Amino acid sequence: MTGSRLLALILVFSPVSIMSFGGGQSTIPEIQHQAVTVHGWLTDDQFTDFFAISRAAPGPSTLIVALIGWQVYGLLGAVAATLAIFVPSSIVMYAVSAWWQRNEESVIRKSIERGLAPVAVGLIFAGAVIVLNAAHAGLLALATTAAVCVLRSMTGISTYAMVAAVAAAYLLLFALFQFTA
Amino acid sequence: MKAVNAPADVALRPRVGLLALLLTFVRLGTMTFGGSVQSWVHREVVERLGWIDDKAFLSGLTVAQVLPGANPVNIALYVGLQLRGAAGAAVAVFGMIVPAFCLTLCLGYFYRAYGHLAVVHFVLGGLAAAGVGATLTMAFKVARRLPRNLMTPLIALTVFGVVGLLRWPMVPVVVVAVPVSIALAFVQEKRKAS
Repeated sequence: MTGSRLLALILVFSPVSIMSFGGGQSTIPEIQHQAVTVHGWLTDDQFTDFFAISRAAPGPSTLIVALIGWQVYGLLGAVAATLAIFVPSSIVMYAVSAWWQRNEESVIRKSIERGLAPVAVGLIFAGAVIVLNAAHAGLLALATTAAVCVLRSMTGISTYAMVAAVAAAYLLLFALFQFTA
Repeated sequence: MKAVNAPADVALRPRVGLLALLLTFVRLGTMTFGGSVQSWVHREVVERLGWIDDKAFLSGLTVAQVLPGANPVNIALYVGLQLRGAAGAAVAVFGMIVPAFCLTLCLGYFYRAYGHLAVVHFVLGGLAAAGVGATLTMAFKVARRLPRNLMTPLIALTVFGVVGLLRWPMVPVVVVAVPVSIALAFVQEKRKAS
């Protein structure tokens, strides 16, 4: 029944694509729920690792689904999951863009803009909590999150510099911890 | 004024080759990450290449952010569509996704080889926490721009609570929350207009 796993990938990620108001980060709760809890494709630990890889890799971080698809059904699974997450939302974007441009002053457009924003914000914060939870975040992780949050808001630190700094700090901590243990 | 300007803008817009479009978005897709994509696309497409103007870009950025879909992909689609129609949209989206897809799988391959090492999991845990920090920065920025009334924060908090804390599935929550939220905004816009 391996073919059904490929179908499952598509059936799981296409609705997420259509509902991903607020961008890739708002999809994290549902992806975690489906991949870990509902289908058991990954453990919480693997989900956290995949999340980290997708954030550290260039391009849209929604590509976490490529890693999940690969785990489930190899390269074909990675391609299927990627198409499932990008094609439906792109069709909507394509269809709406032209109308959007023409109706700058429309009350409906303003209502959509204003109405979608709080839903997106709620989903993004939910995603943050779910990742920290899946990572069994302790004080160290929470401190890292807070430090990055402050640094990103206060300074123009580049993402590359930030990823390099965090990786170096954690390597150092791991080395020290190993020595003391 | 606007009606007079609009055709002139289109006429002034340079004709961009599909290959140039592809190469630009391949570069943007592989060099940028973690929520900084918008600003890089702006720097390249508006400031350096002058393919579209500021106003058109900002309008596209708004629609890219509010509609479903990853923001970088939606922005690529919008810019490609503006410049070369459907073919441009397809080329720009391809450039934004495919090289990044390959790089992500390469990293995934290394993870398969070395993921069992405790140090790899430890460092990735740190990077995940950093990723959450970057996400929160962006979320706070958007939250600060929300209109200050009673309903808007209430909707945001409710969505956060049921999805993030109670772990209700996202799709039904969004199916209910989006129409309710848009309808409330519509009522307010109407009241403001009258």
